[in-house]
Amino acid sequence: MAKIFKTKLTAATIVLIPACIGINYLGKLFASLLKLPLWLDSIGTCIGACLGGPIIGGLCGAVNNIVFGLTTGDNITLIYALTSLGIGIAVGVMARLGFMTSFPKAMLTAVVGGTAAVVISTPLNILFWGGTTGNVWGDALFAFTQAKGMSVGMGSFLDELVVDVPDKLLTLIIVYLIIKGLPKKLTSLYDVNTEVERLD
Amino acid sequence: MKSISLYKDMGTWLNLMHPYTKLLYIVAAISIPLIGSKLWLFGVFIAASLVILASGKVLRHAVPLLAFSATLIVVIFLVQGLFNHANEQVLFAIGPMTFYKEGVLFATKLGLNILNMLLSFGIFVLTTSPEELVDEMEKNGFSAKFGYVINSVFQILPQMMMTKDTITDAQRSRGLETEGSLGVRMKAFIPLISPVVMSSLVNTRERAIALEVRGFGRKNKKTWLADRPKHKGDKAIGAVLVLLIVLTIAGRVLGWL
Amino acid sequence: MALINIENLKYRYPGYEQLALDDISLTIERGEFIGICGRNGAGKSTLSQAIIGLVPQFYKGAYGGRVEVGGILAEKKPVYEMCEKVGLIFQNPFTQLTGARDTVYGEIAFGLQNLAIERGEMHRRIETVMKQLDIWEYKDRNPFDLSGGQMQRVAIASVLVMQPEIIILDEPTSQLDPQGSEEVFRVVEQLADSGITVIMIEQKVEKLAAYCDRIILMDGGKMVAFDTAEKIYSRDDLEELGIEPPVYTRLAKQYGVKDENGNYPAKLEDTVRLFAEKKIEFEKPVAEAPVAEAEKVFNIEDLDFAYVEGVDILKDFCLKLDRRSTAIIGQNGAGKTTLVRLLKGLLKPASGSIYYGSEDISGKTVAMLADKVGYVFQNPDDQIFKHNVLEELMFGPMNIGMSEADAKAEALKALKLMGLEGKENMNPYDLDLHERKMVAIASVLAMDTDVLILDEPTIAQDYSGRKIIGDMIRKLTDEGRLVIAVLHDMDFVEEYFDRVIVMAHGELLCEGSAAEVYSQAELLEEAKLQKPHRMQLYDLLKA
Repeated sequence: MAKIFKTKLTAATIVLIPACIGINYLGKLFASLLKLPLWLDSIGTCIGACLGGPIIGGLCGAVNNIVFGLTTGDNITLIYALTSLGIGIAVGVMARLGFMTSFPKAMLTAVVGGTAAVVISTPLNILFWGGTTGNVWGDALFAFTQAKGMSVGMGSFLDELVVDVPDKLLTLIIVYLIIKGLPKKLTSLYDVNTEVERLD
Repeated sequence: MKSISLYKDMGTWLNLMHPYTKLLYIVAAISIPLIGSKLWLFGVFIAASLVILASGKVLRHAVPLLAFSATLIVVIFLVQGLFNHANEQVLFAIGPMTFYKEGVLFATKLGLNILNMLLSFGIFVLTTSPEELVDEMEKNGFSAKFGYVINSVFQILPQMMMTKDTITDAQRSRGLETEGSLGVRMKAFIPLISPVVMSSLVNTRERAIALEVRGFGRKNKKTWLADRPKHKGDKAIGAVLVLLIVLTIAGRVLGWL
Repeated sequence: MALINIENLKYRYPGYEQLALDDISLTIERGEFIGICGRNGAGKSTLSQAIIGLVPQFYKGAYGGRVEVGGILAEKKPVYEMCEKVGLIFQNPFTQLTGARDTVYGEIAFGLQNLAIERGEMHRRIETVMKQLDIWEYKDRNPFDLSGGQMQRVAIASVLVMQPEIIILDEPTSQLDPQGSEEVFRVVEQLADSGITVIMIEQKVEKLAAYCDRIILMDGGKMVAFDTAEKIYSRDDLEELGIEPPVYTRLAKQYGVKDENGNYPAKLEDTVRLFAEKKIEFEKPVAEAPVAEAEKVFNIEDLDFAYVEGVDILKDFCLKLDRRSTAIIGQNGAGKTTLVRLLKGLLKPASGSIYYGSEDISGKTVAMLADKVGYVFQNPDDQIFKHNVLEELMFGPMNIGMSEADAKAEALKALKLMGLEGKENMNPYDLDLHERKMVAIASVLAMDTDVLILDEPTIAQDYSGRKIIGDMIRKLTDEGRLVIAVLHDMDFVEEYFDRVIVMAHGELLCEGSAAEVYSQAELLEEAKLQKPHRMQLYDLLKA
């Protein structure tokens, strides 16, 4: 278990975090430019998790929301720092367990990441906004479940599920496509296990 | 360079207050109404925040912050007012929609909480330089590495944002379609995001080198260019805020509230 | 004992089979100014990074031999400690900024804070260095808002302020425009006079010859020679090693002018002196008669453009472009890039028209022009996204409707033209920046367009890279295509372009053949441009 969480806080891994936060932001920007019906705002977090492991991934996610929450004054984002942290850790653990090496495995990682997001977000949604999420489709579903008399917890869970899981599925497909082609010259910087080999 | 931070240096007392004092205010503003569990407490802190923002000449800048919560608050009122499980007493009806007292009350509480959080955070965000906060935290023993992460986001993100248009232009020049059916638009995502990822990873390597050759990562204690000028009000305000929190807890325990 | 002692140094990057450094041994004395030259990929940066210990500590990989700096083993000493002794400046001004400070003053203080320098001393040092490098006026600016040349001087200041014994300059001007380069070279001159030990990697051989006591010549990871500039540049095998000698040496060779030691001169003052001593008369090359062509490709009429309303970049701009290869030159902000972006449809004119043939394209979108006008952006990393060079090259052609077979054929043709043969299955990001630039050019070439627009194509290229690009421009021109380039590289413009257009403040100052344009001294003054090295030399020798 210790090995999965092994992290070296070198200059290279530290600098990876702001870069990943930038990638998150541009992912969101391009998604809205292309008018895609998804957020795609955690691509950087997932890349950070795949390259640097769960600790770096979690940091990418948490710092991302903290910085945006504190700078834009949008403290709704701030609250979901916990969710981003969870996604980063979940994807990082899966990546270290080898679940980013093939397409089907990456899909499994996506499900795990999506589930982590749902499980963490639902209580936050209930606590802060009585179960809604601010997403039109999810909230329409939530209103429907409430009208039908379903419990707040279950309704909110479904609300988050229909929004988060497709988003994470697509996010991880993109991340997988990018990661599999990264040159060794880049990935070796983040590999915790490489040592210098002697030539004499 | 366009900054992503909302920080405004208006030269007022709020800019001179220690970041920690403003953070403590957030803690007080959010916890006291929740602990006290009275609607009027929300009102007190919302009013206080508005007055503080105005005295710091940043009230105008706080308006866009409220926009974030507008839709959410509307949705909460609709969903809770119409469908809250505790709904019994009809409050009013608009056409086929019947709003209930219990749900509306619950929604009011949630809405006030959101407003209260936004405004108290607004005081902090609009009047505190992120670099100043990080520096103060580092002086108190916060890790320089994490300090770097937070500071650098503010500088690196605007740089990355500027590449958005260049990348879009470069790919459209090569015939990439960015409009059309959902399938076409989905397919365009990879050619747009991949260069961002690749080039930022390449830049990461160079920036890591730049940091190492500037002594980043050393174990010794850093030195600083200047000390933050102390403000007399920090201690007094801090003490009052702590006292208020303690009083609220005591009041709750002893049953005054 | 020598300050730097390298014995049998070998190094291989992770994931590579070839050695990047192959058995290098040398010593450098305190106070020497050492140059490193060699083609791109020769191992110059790797060698310099081995001195500060980034190789192997940062990159990992495989390492052999030893590097000692002032008695310290570079391979073991953490870089964040070694930086007290050795400072490093590299190409990219952007990535050298820490990104953690929002003023230039704070940026320069970053290293001193880490070294825990006492506060008073810190302020004293920063002020001294900033004034010395003439950047004191920027102290409160955001470092990211500066120009490339200014940023690079901030980077040098940030390292100098830490007072290292050795300073390494790894092509500090390769990504700067001429003005920025001059700013940086003025600083390099100060360093040369200061007595600090300097190691400089540079493709601008004239500069290397001017400052260096000795030069290391590298190829394929091996050290070929380590000698004076005159000895190095008098060698007969430079062409094979991918190096062009300084313009002074070339001229001296042409006239057989040698110095007292039997070498050709490599510095300007020596060349002028020797030519005067030997009383050599020489002919200034005659300007070729300009060929005006009838067929117009683009006809720009009364074009107005502004990014911000009221601030016109182009006003009533008129220009006709025929099929001669055309270089557009001028200072930053002259409106060059705006003009070519309008031709490509990336920007929409406020008023006026742009005729391509007989068709007005001012209302067309980029996508509609994709198969007619190709545009290569300056930074290849803004477009490369495939994991394989060939696929990257086929992306454009297939977007504009070519069949897979045609796209592949065009891609292979472009690959060959840009000297990328054998690299078709490599990952573009395994290639160096100069090769990625070639990939970007090839990816647009493969679209087989009638017009090709290049933005600063020669940045980061060495002698052979420039030649590949120059030959490509000539070939396309011979095929009857129009090549337009925006660039600052005057030597390249003079050598490869039939027509030169000079712009300043959004206006066309003059146009004509390179010889015509560069002979107008006043005009160049107004556009703040320098003559090509060769012409500067002729002027000096004439005078």
